[in-house]
Amino acid sequence: MELNINGERYSFELKDETTPLLWVLRDFLDLTGTKYSCGIGQCGACTVHVDGKSTRSCLTPASSLAGKEITTIEGASSNAVLSLLQDNWVEVDVPQCGYCQSGQLMSAAALLSQNASPTTQEILSAMQGNVCRCGTYVRIKKAIEKTVEDLNS
Amino acid sequence: MKRRHFFKVSALGTGSLVVSTFIPLACMPEERETTYWDPNFFIRIDSDNLVTFICSKAELGQGTSTGLAMIMADELGADFDKIKVEFADGSKEKYGRLHLQDTGGSNGIRMVWKPLREAIAITRELLIEAAAKQLGRSASSLYTSMGYVHSAEDEQKIAFGDLITVASTLPAPLEVKLKDPEQFQYIGKPIPGRLTKNASKGTVPYSINVKLPNMAYAVIERCPVWEGSLVSYDDTAARQVPGVIDVFEIEPIEEQEDDYKGGVRAGVAVVATNTWAAIKGKEALEIIWDLGPNARYSTSDVHDGLTAYRDDNRAVAVNLKNAESLLNRSNQKLAVRYDSPRQAHACMEPLNAVAYHYGYKVEVWAGTQSPSMTRERIAELTGLQETEIVVNNHPTGGGFGRKFTCDYIEEAVIVSEKIRRPVKLMWTREDTIKTSKYHPYSSDFWEALLDDKGYPIAIGYQGFTGGPSAFRPFPYGLPMAYRSRLRYIKGWLVPRASWRSVMAHPWALGLESFMDELAHEAQIDPLEFRLNLLKKAEVVKQKRDPWVGADLYPAKLVGTLEEVAERSGWFTNADEDVFKGCSSIGYNTSYCSMVVHLKRGTNGLYLSKIFATIDCGTVINPSKVKSQVEGSIVWGLSALLTPSITVKNGQVEQSNFNDYPLLRISETPDIEVEIIQSDDVPTGSGEPGVPGVAPAILNALFMATGKRVRKIPIDLKTF
Ligand code: FES
Ligand code: FES
Repeated sequence: MELNINGERYSFELKDETTPLLWVLRDFLDLTGTKYSCGIGQCGACTVHVDGKSTRSCLTPASSLAGKEITTIEGASSNAVLSLLQDNWVEVDVPQCGYCQSGQLMSAAALLSQNASPTTQEILSAMQGNVCRCGTYVRIKKAIEKTVEDLNS
Repeated sequence: MKRRHFFKVSALGTGSLVVSTFIPLACMPEERETTYWDPNFFIRIDSDNLVTFICSKAELGQGTSTGLAMIMADELGADFDKIKVEFADGSKEKYGRLHLQDTGGSNGIRMVWKPLREAIAITRELLIEAAAKQLGRSASSLYTSMGYVHSAEDEQKIAFGDLITVASTLPAPLEVKLKDPEQFQYIGKPIPGRLTKNASKGTVPYSINVKLPNMAYAVIERCPVWEGSLVSYDDTAARQVPGVIDVFEIEPIEEQEDDYKGGVRAGVAVVATNTWAAIKGKEALEIIWDLGPNARYSTSDVHDGLTAYRDDNRAVAVNLKNAESLLNRSNQKLAVRYDSPRQAHACMEPLNAVAYHYGYKVEVWAGTQSPSMTRERIAELTGLQETEIVVNNHPTGGGFGRKFTCDYIEEAVIVSEKIRRPVKLMWTREDTIKTSKYHPYSSDFWEALLDDKGYPIAIGYQGFTGGPSAFRPFPYGLPMAYRSRLRYIKGWLVPRASWRSVMAHPWALGLESFMDELAHEAQIDPLEFRLNLLKKAEVVKQKRDPWVGADLYPAKLVGTLEEVAERSGWFTNADEDVFKGCSSIGYNTSYCSMVVHLKRGTNGLYLSKIFATIDCGTVINPSKVKSQVEGSIVWGLSALLTPSITVKNGQVEQSNFNDYPLLRISETPDIEVEIIQSDDVPTGSGEPGVPGVAPAILNALFMATGKRVRKIPIDLKTF
């Protein structure tokens, strides 16, 4: 089948219709920025955008996504909000092990693309689905707040 | 490209450095075509000026590779932004076992700091010497900076890459001078480093991303009860899943004497062309297990077992300042028990490893905290020589002690041996919660003899921590009796793995709650009570090896406590809606004190802020140190405030983040960390912030409710 990812067409053979997008990205297309961690929609490590909306790729069969626009962490260059977030992630020195951070960034980017001036409460609830075992939450919040400032100045 | 290690760095048990000098036969012309120079096991300089730092410690997100690269850049005079970081293979010939390589006990910077600086200082001197020859100047008029040797007298400079041909022919100096701290350009600065940049782009090369030609993907369904065995299985449905290649039994491997090795459960492996197919195949398996004797027991049996063991073994093993006879007096006593549950590590990157067993050699790609031990173990397991085993260590998505054990790598090797092709062995999240190795359940018993004003005269302790030569001794200077250790029974119900801060966690829960209880008995402010005792206490000598650090200095605890008290307004903030609690912990040569603020909101009690102060000697990278303490606090909060691992009839009752939830962003309070400035040897920051969290919060909870909680986890909203 064919998928549209980060503005490019990818075609591959899909033998099992139930295969989640996550494993298509990782095992078939070598787009390994998107991460597996729970497989049941509980941690957000696998977050991508489908038509701009934050989506858990571990729960979304690739076969349901024909014709949709998929953005992964690898697609940052064409997404201004995401690349600004990335800059601030470095500036604030957010990541520790880094494993959850693709998902954190994709969730934050989905939020700020829809709402460039979220309240603290809106930030927290948008990020509530993303677990970080290293405990980088304080800095994630700070980096998002900084991005909000940058976007509004 | 000839390798010319003309000196070799290896750490002895004493932690001292041996620099053995080999003068290479490098004067022959054909040998001059050097394209790189690797004068020791920490560094390689290419003729195109690329400087590669070979990090002997694992990178789990604790920032060690960034910190060590900064140390190297400073000692060498390199441009930090241009340094490439690679991870060393698991070679004890190069780095020795434990000391310079395997990563645990918050030892990364502490153990490597000195040998690294010495080796790099020698490298620097050789580059200077080579430049001196080339320029016809005296070495003393030259210095290094940003990847060049510069002349102090004029504008002349030569890039490192242009010096390696000559430098590699020179004998190493016998003595070198390390740089003065004033000359440091990077050490002490908050530098994000390469890992942060890559993680923000999603490009960190974790082992879970490794893909080799012809690689298969495997998962294992493991026996849900530890030490149970396989009776039979039906793989008909599993083999019908598109992409499944093979299904076979995995025989259990006993936990070894050193419990970091072995402990592979009985299981059935499913090998497939992709991860999803393997997982679906695993779900389709029909297995009959013999659950074995552990299926008769549950968490409550461990609790009762510890009680019984204690009742039968109460002899005093260590008696400091005559505590034993004091404790026998008939004064008023306070005797209490603290209980800590099992915990899972739940590293965000689930356990995984890629292995290729060629028949005559084995190569693995994994994120491991113990590459040299793992290599040793694979040799043992396969009967091959250690020289035939290559461990490629990858930065990993959290280790926290779990990736010190090598069972998951052993499994990958076993599967690859069976199918003779490269295989990526994946643990599902459920595997990492239900059939893993865990932080053990523990109980600690504390008692104190009080004078008629309620002030403690002597302390008694019984728990998992021995004393006083063990690594978490009592810092408060009172007479202290350690009763015989409550032995952790190996493999009891579920196997053990070190878990961020290990047994310092239960020890601190008891120690720092108990000190608070004593302060209240004596009607003294708990923070002042600690300061009074610590100011009178003497240095506690430790006799263990350097792995766990040096003596314990009560004065350093005082320094951190005073700083955090001041900053958090402990003595000055009179707001009656704020309930305050504190703790103070020495952990493997670092010191961390904390103050927490609890408040009552419409949904009950909540944490409004946590203040922490750490003393970890010379600070290499304050941003990383602070982020380690922030992360440690979140770790401690998860342990205290979210459900723990419980065992029923031998089976772990939790399975994924739905029933083993971790702390989330909205539950995380404000955290403010400060660092004590110090010129002492740099020590660890990955764990010292963990153990004090639970007691500080429970102490604040006592202030808020008058209830003393001695068993974790808790739900703040129920108070
Ligand atoms: S892996 Fe998809 S939410 Fe956790
Ligand atoms: S940075 Fe390690 S899990 Fe978030």
